[in-house]
Amino acid sequence: MSEKIGGEHVPDSTRALDVDGDIDLMVDDLDLWYADKQALFGVSLPIAKNAVTALIGPSGCGKSTLLRTINRMNDLIPICRYEGTITKGDVEITAKDADLVEIRKNIGMVFQRPNPFPKSIYENVGYGVRLHYQPSREELDEIIEKSLKRAAIWSEVADRLHDLGTSLSGGQQQRLCIARTIAIEPDIILMDEPCSALDPIATAAIEELILELKKDFTVVIVTHSMSQAARVSDYTGFMYLGRMVEFSKTDKIFSDPAEELTKRYITGRFG
Amino acid sequence: MKKDIDTLKKRSRRRRDVVEQAGSASLALSGLVGMFFLVVLVWQIAIPTFIDGENGEISAASEFIPISDYVLEWDHPNVNEQGDLKTEPIVLTITWEGQTGAQTHDLEIVVTANRGEKEDVQISEEGLSTTSIEVGKKTKFYLKSVLDVPVSVEQRSGPVPAADASGNPHVSSFVVSGDVAVLISNGSAVFEPLEMAGWTSLLVLTFIVSRPTERRLAPLVRCYGRERQIRGIILLLAIFTIVIGQTTLSAFLGGLCWLLFGVALLRTIEGMERLQNQGRSLTEVKRLKHSISDREGLLLWSRMLLVSACFFIPLDIDIPFLTERYQDIFQPYASGIRSAFFGTVWVMSIAMLVSMPISIGAAIYLEEYAAPTRTTKLIQALVTNLAGVPSIVFGMFGLAIFVKQGGIGLGLGPSILAAGLTMGVMAMPIIVLASQEALRSVPRSLRESAYGVGCTQWQVVKDHVLPSAMPGIMTGSILAMSRIMGEAAPLVVVGAAALVLFDPEPLAALTGGNLNFTVIPIQIYFWTSEPEHAWHSMAAAASIALILLLIAMNSIAIVLRQHFRKRLNS
Ligand SMILES: Nc1ncnc2c1ncn2[C@@H]1O[C@H](COP(=O)(O)OP(=O)(O)OP(=O)(O)O)[C@@H](O)[C@H]1O
Ligand SMILES: [Mg+2]
Repeated sequence: MSEKIGGEHVPDSTRALDVDGDIDLMVDDLDLWYADKQALFGVSLPIAKNAVTALIGPSGCGKSTLLRTINRMNDLIPICRYEGTITKGDVEITAKDADLVEIRKNIGMVFQRPNPFPKSIYENVGYGVRLHYQPSREELDEIIEKSLKRAAIWSEVADRLHDLGTSLSGGQQQRLCIARTIAIEPDIILMDEPCSALDPIATAAIEELILELKKDFTVVIVTHSMSQAARVSDYTGFMYLGRMVEFSKTDKIFSDPAEELTKRYITGRFG
Repeated sequence: MKKDIDTLKKRSRRRRDVVEQAGSASLALSGLVGMFFLVVLVWQIAIPTFIDGENGEISAASEFIPISDYVLEWDHPNVNEQGDLKTEPIVLTITWEGQTGAQTHDLEIVVTANRGEKEDVQISEEGLSTTSIEVGKKTKFYLKSVLDVPVSVEQRSGPVPAADASGNPHVSSFVVSGDVAVLISNGSAVFEPLEMAGWTSLLVLTFIVSRPTERRLAPLVRCYGRERQIRGIILLLAIFTIVIGQTTLSAFLGGLCWLLFGVALLRTIEGMERLQNQGRSLTEVKRLKHSISDREGLLLWSRMLLVSACFFIPLDIDIPFLTERYQDIFQPYASGIRSAFFGTVWVMSIAMLVSMPISIGAAIYLEEYAAPTRTTKLIQALVTNLAGVPSIVFGMFGLAIFVKQGGIGLGLGPSILAAGLTMGVMAMPIIVLASQEALRSVPRSLRESAYGVGCTQWQVVKDHVLPSAMPGIMTGSILAMSRIMGEAAPLVVVGAAALVLFDPEPLAALTGGNLNFTVIPIQIYFWTSEPEHAWHSMAAAASIALILLLIAMNSIAIVLRQHFRKRLNS
C-alpha cells in the first residue's frame, strides 16, 4: 500500500506496532486537519510505559502536531480538527467531554523553545503544584527542591530561587521547564525538540536527564538528531508527510529498517 | 503507581469549576454592559438625526438648577469638651417679603465638634421649621426655602468667619466658611494625626519590606512572640481611626492603612522567625523576600493604598485655594476652586471606577473568549471608531441616557453621578482598545506553557495573560483618564454649573440632595470668559491645580503599571 506524492512512494501509516511491556498510551488511526489541509493521515502509535519513545522525520511531517494532539494542546488552534482515538488506560483522551485539566496534568509538555513563566524560579515550579493541590509551605519547598534536583538544575539556582525564571540562560530555562513539568508528577512527559535551542553541553545534560526520568516517567521526544534518538530512546517512530512510516525498537530501526524511506532518512540520503 | 504528590491535599475541583464559570460569566457580563452602552450611543445619535418627529427631547439641562437652597457651614466648634458654650451661639437673621408683609426670624446655631452632624431648616410661609439647631464643624447644612421670593441671611452674633472682615456672611452666597483652624486649634486636632500615623507606619514598613537590610529589620526582632498584642493594638488603632474620624473617606483610608500595616507587620515577623529557625541570617535578603508570604501582593496593595491615601488624607488639611475657598464673585483673588476641585475628584473617581472594570472585562472577553464571528468583528469596528468620536457627542449621550428621565433615561439629573457615568462611557473605548492591544501582545508560548501545566482558561487569563498585559492596560487607562479629566464640553451638555458655592454631593442624584456641581475645566472656562483680568490669573492657577490633580490621580495607575512591569522584566 502506498501513494505516490511528488515522485515519491509514501507508504500508508504502519500497523506494525509491537512493544514489550505495558502500553501507557495508544494513538489509534488519527487523522488531523488544519482547516482544509490534512496534516496527519491514519497515524497510530503505542507509547510504552517507563520507556522513551522518539519521533523522527523531516521538518513539517507532523511530529509536533501529533505530540500536541496527545495532550489536546491543538484544541487551542481553532482551525484544527481531528478524527481517531487516543486512549490512556481506560481514559479516552479524544472524548468530547474529556477533562482537559486532568489530561494536561497527567501528560506534561516541554516545548521546543523554553518558555518559563515571567515569575520567580520558585513560582515557576510551585505554580502548577498549587494549581492542583494545597501543599503547606514546607511541603511545597520540599517539592520544589526535589523537582529542581531531578531536573539537574538545583545546584545552579539554589541561592537564587527568587530571581525571575526568564533571567536564566537558555539551557537552564529548558531544565527549569522540565522541573516545572515533573513537579506535578505527570505519567507522561512530551518533549518537542527540547534541545534545539541548546549547546552540546546543555544537550548532553538533558539527554542524561531523560535517561534518568525514564525510571519514573514515560517520555515521548521529538528530535531532529538521529544520534540523539539512537542514544536516548527505546522505541522510534519515523514520520513522513503526515504518515507514521515505520515504528519499532530503536536498535531495529537504526540497524535494519523495514522501509526503504526510513533507511534513506536515517542514513542522510534524502530528498 | 502511587505518586508522592498524591499525598498532598487536593484542590476542590468543584470550586475550580464554579470560579471558572463565575469568571467567564463576569467577563461576558461586562462585555454585555459595554455593548449596551454602545448600542444606545449609536441609537441616540441616529434618532434625532434620521428619524422625523422626534424633537425637543434634548435640551440643555440647566433648568434643573434650584434657586432656593442656601448652604451654610462653620468651622469652629463653639462648645467645649463639657458641652458648654465657649462663645455666644451663632445667630442668623433670616428675612423675606412674605405675602402678609416682611418676615424676620432668628436661627440659633451651635457648632459642635462632631463632623457630620447636621439638621436642615425649612423656610416656608409659616416661618422657620425650627429656631435652634446643632451642626457639626465643617458640615454643611441647608436652608431649604419653598418660597418663590429671595431670602436674605445675615449673621447677627457669634464667631465670625475670618474670610469676611465686615463681620457678615457673604451677601452673595450665603456660604459662611471658616478658616484653617482645624489642625491647630480645638480638641479635634488629635484625630487627623491618627490617620497620618497609620499612613506613615505603612509607608515605613513598605519601604523596609521592599528593601530589607539587617539594620532596618533590627527593630522588628523585638516584636517576636508578641503577635497577639500587636494584632490587638493595631485592630484598636484602626477602629479608633475610623470611629473618631467620623467615618469620612480619609478616616476610612487611615483605618485601612493601619490594617494593612498590621497584616504586613505580622507576615514580616513570621517570615523573619521562619528564617531564623532555619538558622539563617536576616541579611540573606532574597530569602527574606521569599519568606514573607504573598510579599508581592502586600507590596502592591500597600503602594496603592499609600498613594490613594496620600491623596485623600491631606484633604483634611485645607489648602486655601484648592480645598478651602469657594468662588467669591466679587473678589477674584479671594476665590478658590473648592467645589470644582471636589467635583473633579468625584467625577473622575466615578468615571474610572465604572469604566475600568467594564472596559478591561470587555476587552478580555472580546480578545480571549468571543469567537471571531461577524458580530464580534462588527462590535470591534464600532469600538475602534468610538475612540475617535468627539467628546461633545458623548455629552449628548450622557444627557439622554443619564440626565433625562423617561425613555431610556435614568433621570439622574445634572448631577455628579450622571457626569461621572458619562465620562466613564467616554473613557471606555480608549481603555478597551489599549487593553486589547496589550492582551494581543502576550506571547502565545506563555499561554501554552500555562495550559501545559493544567490551567483552565480563566486561570490562564487571571494568572498569566492579565499580569503580562497589565502595563499596557494601565497605560491605556492613564491615557483615557488624562483625556476625560480635561474635558469641559460633555459636562456643559450634561449640566455642570458655572457657580457652585458648596461641596458637591456625589450621590445627590440617589439621595435627593442638591445636584449642582462643577469641575475644574468648566471653572477655568468661565473664568477665562470674564472681562476682568484678575480672573484670568485665577484661571491659570486653576489650570495648574488641574494638572497636579491629574498627576496625583494617575499615580495610582502608574504604581500599578510599574509594579507589573518590574515583575515582568527585572
Ligand atoms: N497552526 C497551524 N496552522 C496551520 N497549519 C499548521 C499549523 N501548525 C502546523 N501546521 C502544518 O502542519 C504540518 C505539520 O506541522 P508540524 O509542526 O507538526 O511539523 P513538525 O514535524 O513538527 O516540523 P518541525 O520538525 O519543523 O517542527 C505542516 O505542514 C504545517 O504547515
Ligand atoms: Mg515541530
